[in-house]
Amino acid sequence: MDANMTESTRVLKDNKKRIRVDFAGKMSNLDRWKLRLTSSSFWIDKVWYLARFILMVGISFIIIYPFVEKITQSFMARMDFIDPTVNLIPKNWTFDTYKAIAVENGYLGALLRTTGLSLLVALLQTLACCMIGYGLAKYKFRGVKVIFFFVIISMIIPHDTLRLSLLQHFASFDIATIQSLNIGGPLAWIFGKAPNLVGTVWPMVILSITGLAFKNSLYIFMMRQFFRGVPDELEESACVDGSNSIRTFFQIILPLSIPMMITIFLFSFSWQWTDNFYVPLLVSSSSANMMPDLINVIPDSLNAINFEAAKAYTNAIRNTAGLMIIAPLIVIYLFCQRFLVQGIERSGLVG
Amino acid sequence: MRCDAVTDHKKLSPDAAAGGEALPTAPIGRKKKKTLRSLLRPTTLEARKARAGWFFVMPFVLGVVLIYLPILIDSIWFSFADITKGVAGAPDIVTPVGFKYYIQAFNTQYEYKTLLLEGVQQILLEVPAIVVFSLFVAVILNQKMLGRAVFRAIFFVPVILATGLMDSIEAMNQSSDSTEDGVSGGTLEGQEEGLINMMDVELLFSNMKVGTELVVYVVNLVNMIYDIVNFSGVQMLIFLAGLQSISPSIYEACQIEGATAWETFWKITFPMISPMILVNAIYSIIDSFTKESNVVMSYIDDLYNSATPKGQTVAMYWMYFLLILAVIGIFALIAKAFIFYQKRD
Repeated sequence: MDANMTESTRVLKDNKKRIRVDFAGKMSNLDRWKLRLTSSSFWIDKVWYLARFILMVGISFIIIYPFVEKITQSFMARMDFIDPTVNLIPKNWTFDTYKAIAVENGYLGALLRTTGLSLLVALLQTLACCMIGYGLAKYKFRGVKVIFFFVIISMIIPHDTLRLSLLQHFASFDIATIQSLNIGGPLAWIFGKAPNLVGTVWPMVILSITGLAFKNSLYIFMMRQFFRGVPDELEESACVDGSNSIRTFFQIILPLSIPMMITIFLFSFSWQWTDNFYVPLLVSSSSANMMPDLINVIPDSLNAINFEAAKAYTNAIRNTAGLMIIAPLIVIYLFCQRFLVQGIERSGLVG
Repeated sequence: MRCDAVTDHKKLSPDAAAGGEALPTAPIGRKKKKTLRSLLRPTTLEARKARAGWFFVMPFVLGVVLIYLPILIDSIWFSFADITKGVAGAPDIVTPVGFKYYIQAFNTQYEYKTLLLEGVQQILLEVPAIVVFSLFVAVILNQKMLGRAVFRAIFFVPVILATGLMDSIEAMNQSSDSTEDGVSGGTLEGQEEGLINMMDVELLFSNMKVGTELVVYVVNLVNMIYDIVNFSGVQMLIFLAGLQSISPSIYEACQIEGATAWETFWKITFPMISPMILVNAIYSIIDSFTKESNVVMSYIDDLYNSATPKGQTVAMYWMYFLLILAVIGIFALIAKAFIFYQKRD
């Protein structure tokens, strides 16, 4: 642009956030567009924008397509699985699969039980991890490193490794006992016999309040990172004002970490909901099945032995059960997903 | 919050003084005693803070000492022992057998050895792909574009849904695929399952002078795209958080100095996000080897549910864990050299 063009340039204020530069009529709208359209950076920007958009749509498709496939398959009648012309859209729509799973597998009971368990466990885990994370982040004392080391340990040891010993320990529950060495604990001494907790909610409650349940170490880590970002001056001023640590925590720290706690709660609720390790192992019993148990049982009325496409059909039934299990989660996710993203962004998981 | 604290103070001060909560004074020159008494009735501010710290982490400490460690020790012990069911009600009988099961895992379970190798290969294949993919997507999601909120919502669906249960359904479906292949007429499906054909890619790459290894790698990656997308949800979140914590003024300065977007990415974004890359890589390794569709995990899980001695499977789990620990250790050592930590005051 020439120098004389800028001479009579005026800056107009459109609104608070936007200003418009007026070149005093020397450059018409048409000219401006011409200049824009001939610049390479404009086109590079537009092409990159479009490419980005298409890529995002493509990856979204990859994420969503399996769900679409599972949903349409869940409405297919048995003959649709043999029919080679049926591809994605069922010819014979039916609710039989849903009905059979709901009635024969006791979906409603499992739904209620799982809701109760997930709410209870998620609440306990959120509070416990919040406390533990706060202690690890804000206080320096001997042994804090050892404790953090154990948080990491419980993160990287896969729970499958502990499966047998978890089951054994909760089948005859006692504190501080090493069963293989026959070292008895206080509970066995008091009650005469160590109580069997398998098939009740107690194993999950105990693991939750101690921050040892599924992925809890991740929550503790996230909470710790969050609290490290909270300025120490808050506690200092509270301390000067005469509030003790516990009161400071509950009255000042907790209210300000609510967004983060909602994030943790969502994580813990949904991961507890779909948990297929601890729940079938420790909580489920033959009389009261939980959500994850639904996928293991194919309803009798849908029994597909001696059926040509038995494999595809059985898979579709299992997928339907899976869909029914995650359906409530999807509803919750639709309403709460912004908490999830915002919470993580705010947490300063970084550093 | 500050306001609350100040207003609280007026209500607080009388009872706080009564409760002996006045700031403690530390006598000069006297040694601090690290006794149980000083922990319970602390006299210095430091001791008092230590007590508060212990109070907050107490649930975890109790859990580890009373529950987790015994479970851990027993689990290790079980891998060195034979477990036989005791008479009803009586505890199981555990007889130590030494390293028998560890040696047996290599000598008699032929599949295990090859699977271990395959498992490590799977991790080496998956983890770089997941980290690069999630970084790429996070960078894009961080830019302004039409429908960003919708894309974010879709991209984080796997965080909630693709873990645990759905993964195990997938694993169950696949295992029924492999076992019943001979019975039902579903063999064609297996061939069509891959998104792209090896031949097509070879055709594409034939003119460029690249080795077949790269072709195989690319084909594997493309066919695993579903897995990669589904297991990079949490990593995306972590990267996104990291990207948002980079100060915009750094980018502004770059722009003024005339750096291109490409330069800005490699000179600013990449170094600033490098600690997150380590975190994500380690998280991905852990995630990848503990998930149920992992070849080794599903193999040992199957063994666990069969008649194989339990000690045998526990030994196998521990061996696999040690192997992965070694992988993580080596990786962390290498990565340490390349990570840039921003110094903050």
